[in-house]
Amino acid sequence: MAKRIVINPITRISGFMEIEAFIENNIIVDAKTEGLLFRGFEKMLVGRSPFDAVYFTERICGICSTAHGVASTMALEAAMKVIPTEQGRYLRDIIHGCEFLQNHIRHFYQYTTPDFIKLPENYPLYVTDHNDFRLPEEKNALLVKHYFESLDLSRQAHEMLAVLGGKAPHNHGVFIGGITTQASTDKIIKIKSILNSINQFIRDKMIPDAYTIGEYYQDYYHNGGGYGNLLSYGCFNNYAELGTLYVDPLAYKDGSIRPFYPSGISEEIDYSWYSDDTEPYMDKPKAYSWVKAARYYGIPFETGPLARQWLSGEYRHGISTMDRTIARVLEAKKITEVIGVLLENITPDVSVQKEYSIPEAAEGEGLIDTTRGALGHWIEIDDRVISFYQIITPSGWNLSTRSGNNLKGTAEKALIGTTIQNSDNPVELGRIIRSFDPCVSCQLMYIQMVGI
Amino acid sequence: MIKSEKTICQRMKQIIEESESNIKMLFKMPCIYARTSVLFELSANTAELNELCSQLIENENRQVQPTQSNITIEQLSQFTGKNGNPAYVAVNGIVYDVTNNAAWAAATHFGLTAGKDLTDEFASCHAGHSILDKLKVVGKLI
Amino acid sequence: MIEKNPGICPMLNASSGTAKNLIEKIKSEIMRNSLVKRDLIWLELTGCSGNIISLLNGSNPDFKFLITNMVNLIYNNSLMAAEGEAALDALVNKTGSDYILAVEGAISTKNNGLYNIIGRWKGEPLTALKAVQLLGDRASHVIAVGACATHGGVSAARPNPAECVSVQSILKRKVIKLPGCPCHPDWFLGTLAHILLYGEPELDDRDRHLLFYSMLIHDRCPRRSYFDNGVFATRLGEKTCMFKLGCRGPVTRIDCPVRQWNSYVNWPIRDDTPCIGCAMFGFPDSMEPFISYDTTRKR
Repeated sequence: MAKRIVINPITRISGFMEIEAFIENNIIVDAKTEGLLFRGFEKMLVGRSPFDAVYFTERICGICSTAHGVASTMALEAAMKVIPTEQGRYLRDIIHGCEFLQNHIRHFYQYTTPDFIKLPENYPLYVTDHNDFRLPEEKNALLVKHYFESLDLSRQAHEMLAVLGGKAPHNHGVFIGGITTQASTDKIIKIKSILNSINQFIRDKMIPDAYTIGEYYQDYYHNGGGYGNLLSYGCFNNYAELGTLYVDPLAYKDGSIRPFYPSGISEEIDYSWYSDDTEPYMDKPKAYSWVKAARYYGIPFETGPLARQWLSGEYRHGISTMDRTIARVLEAKKITEVIGVLLENITPDVSVQKEYSIPEAAEGEGLIDTTRGALGHWIEIDDRVISFYQIITPSGWNLSTRSGNNLKGTAEKALIGTTIQNSDNPVELGRIIRSFDPCVSCQLMYIQMVGI
Repeated sequence: MIKSEKTICQRMKQIIEESESNIKMLFKMPCIYARTSVLFELSANTAELNELCSQLIENENRQVQPTQSNITIEQLSQFTGKNGNPAYVAVNGIVYDVTNNAAWAAATHFGLTAGKDLTDEFASCHAGHSILDKLKVVGKLI
Repeated sequence: MIEKNPGICPMLNASSGTAKNLIEKIKSEIMRNSLVKRDLIWLELTGCSGNIISLLNGSNPDFKFLITNMVNLIYNNSLMAAEGEAALDALVNKTGSDYILAVEGAISTKNNGLYNIIGRWKGEPLTALKAVQLLGDRASHVIAVGACATHGGVSAARPNPAECVSVQSILKRKVIKLPGCPCHPDWFLGTLAHILLYGEPELDDRDRHLLFYSMLIHDRCPRRSYFDNGVFATRLGEKTCMFKLGCRGPVTRIDCPVRQWNSYVNWPIRDDTPCIGCAMFGFPDSMEPFISYDTTRKR
C-alpha cells in the first residue's frame, strides 16, 4: 500500500505549489507537481497597447521580471520588423545578465542552502522541520556567514541592473531597440566595479560553497535525474561580431545534440484546470494544476542552467539534483564573464531609441533563454492593439503536468524512483524540486496553443 | 447649480467682512492655539472666495460662448491629441483644451481619452468646478 | 477648502524625515533597550512576489537588520526554512498573540478563493482569501505592500480573470497602504519603523503614509522646467519632459524623484522613460497607455 505525502506550501520558491507523492518501500512511485496560482495575464493583455506589453508582462514575476521584459520586447520587435542594433542588444543583454546574477545568487543562498545547512534558529524564519544537516559545524558556520553576505551581493546585482534599467524589480530600461537610456562612462564604470565584487564573491565563495554541499550530499548526484532531455532557446548568442558568448538554440536527447526548432513547441492542457475552450475550469476530472504541459515534438524537456551548461559544453558531469545546483553557480560565473565582454564592446553615449509606430496587424515571437530556462512570448496585433498573447515559461517545461500521451512532467519524472530516508520528513522532495528553481508566479496562463 | 452674479457678490462681501473682523482679532490674540483656529477660518474663507471667483469666471465663460465656435460631437472626436491634433474634451456642454494639461499626458487621463464628451466621468470624480476653471475653453458642444 | 491641519510642510517633512532617520532612531532605541522587537508576518498572495524581492534590495536598513533588530519574521513563503504543514504551523499558531501583518499581492476571490492556494492545513486548502480573513482582524497593524495588495493592481487588471480584490476589500479594519509596483524597501521599512517606535504613522485620506506619498512626482521632477517651457521628448532616451509620451508623474503621489531606487542610483524618469504611475491607485488600467508616440508629433 503506497503512502501518500503532500507538501504544501513548497516554500523558498517564487509562487505557490504543492507536491503530492506516493511512496512504497521508501521509494517514490508516483508524483504530481501542482501549481496553485492563477491570474490570467494572457487574457488581460488583449486590447492593450502593444508597447505596454513590455512593462505589463514584467509584472508576471517579481524575481525574473526582466526576463519577461526581454521576451516581450523581442516579440514586439519581430512583429514591428524592428532589428535592434548590436549596441542595443549588448545593452539589453547586460541588463538581462544582471537579472541572472540577482536570481542565481538569491536562488542558491536564500532558496537552496536552507535545505542543506542549518541557519541560526534564534531567527523564527530559520526554524526547520527536519534534521538532515550533514556539514561539519565549521563549514556550516562558513556557509551561514555567506548566506548573509550574499544579501549584499544580490542587492548589488539589482543595483547594477538599475544603473541601466532605472529600477528593479520591474525595470524600465529594456525596450524595443535595446534599452531606453544611454550608457555613459560613469554608468559603465559603476557596473564594472559592482561586477568585479560579484565576480569575486561567486568565484571565492558561491562556487566552493556549492561544491561543499555536494561533497556532503553525494546521494543528490544520484537522484532527481528525470528524462535527461535538455533544451535551450539560446541566450547571449548570435552577435554579428562577437558570435555566441554563451549558448545557441539546441536540444539534447538520447545522447545527441541537435539544433532547436521553434515549430516543435506545443502546450497541452489535458491535466490542467482549463476547459477545451481554454477557460479556467477547476472541476475538470483528472486535472490538478494551473501549470500546463509544454512539450517539444510531444516530449517533455528540461530547461535551465544545467541544460545550458550541458548544451554549451561548459559542464557535463551529470543530470541530477546536485548537478543542477552546481550548474547554476557555474553559470553565474559564466554570466559575469559574458557581461564583462559586452561591457568592453559598449560605445558610450549611443542612443538606440526611435519613434516607433504600431502596425495595423502583425504577429511576432520572442524566444529567449532566461534564468530558469526557455521563455517564449507570442504576440498578435490587430487594429493596432494586442489581439492575442501567449506565454510559455520555463516552469511550463520543468514543472509541467502530465500530457495527453500520459508522459509525466519533467520534475514529476525526476521525483519518481527517489529513495526517501524518513517518510515522516521527506526532505528529498523539496530539495529535488528546488533544484529546478520553480517559478509558479509565472505560471498563470491561459490559452492552449498547439503547433505555433 | 449656477448662482447668479448678485448672490455670489453678496456672499463675497459677507466673507470679506468676516475676514476683516478675524484679522483684527488676530492682532490682539495672545494664545497661539486660538490664533491657529482663526487662521484656519481665514483659510477657509479664502478657499470659499476662490470658489466664488471661479463661479464668476465660469459665468463669464458661459456668456462668451455664443461668440466661440460651436463644435459637434463628430468634430470633437477628431481632437484626440494624436497625430498633431490638439486634445479637447467636453464637460457640461463646454469644450476644453487639455493638450498641455499636466494630468492629460499623452492625451489620456486615468483611462479616459481625449476627443469625447466626459460629462458623466467628470461628475463622478471631481466635485465642484475649480479644475475646469483653469482650462482653456475652445467652444460649445452642440 | 482645508479640511484638516496640514501639519508640517511636506517638503520639510520629506527632507528631514526619511526612512534612514527613523532607522537611526531605532538603532539608538535598541541601544537603550527601549525598542521591543515585535513579530511580523509577511504573506505573499495573488501577485508576483516582487515586493519581498524589493524588500531584499533594501540597504541601510537591510534585510538582515530587519530580522535581527527590528522584528521576528515569523512567516514568509519565499524565505522561510520550513516547508509544508510545519511552515503553516508558525502561521496558524500566531493568531493568538501580538503581530504586525504585511500583505503583498491581491486576494483572488474567484471560486471561493481557490485560484490562489498558499498552503494546506490539516488536509484543507488554505486560500489567500482565508489567510487574510484568519490573520487580518487580529493583527495589531495591517500593511498592504505594493499595488496588488493596496488596490488590486496588475492582478486585478481588466478583465480581472481571478476576480482579485485589495486587502481592504476583505477587512473592515484600518489597512495602511503602500502602493507601488513594487513597493520601495524604504517605504515599507520606514513605515514599519514608525509603527515600532511611535505607532501608526500619519496617513492621508486614502491611508497612505504621508511621509512618502504626500507630493506629486511632477512637483519635484528634475525635468519640470522642460514641462513649463513646453519642451517635450518625442522618443525615449531624450532628456526633456516626457509628458507627450504619457508620463504619469503629474498624477502620481510618491517621492521617487528625491528617493530613487536600488541603493538610490536611478529611477524611471532618469532612465529616460515616462513614469507609468505604478504608485498611484488605479495602476495599471488607469495609467495606460504607458508609452504613446502618436501624441508627440507636431502638425
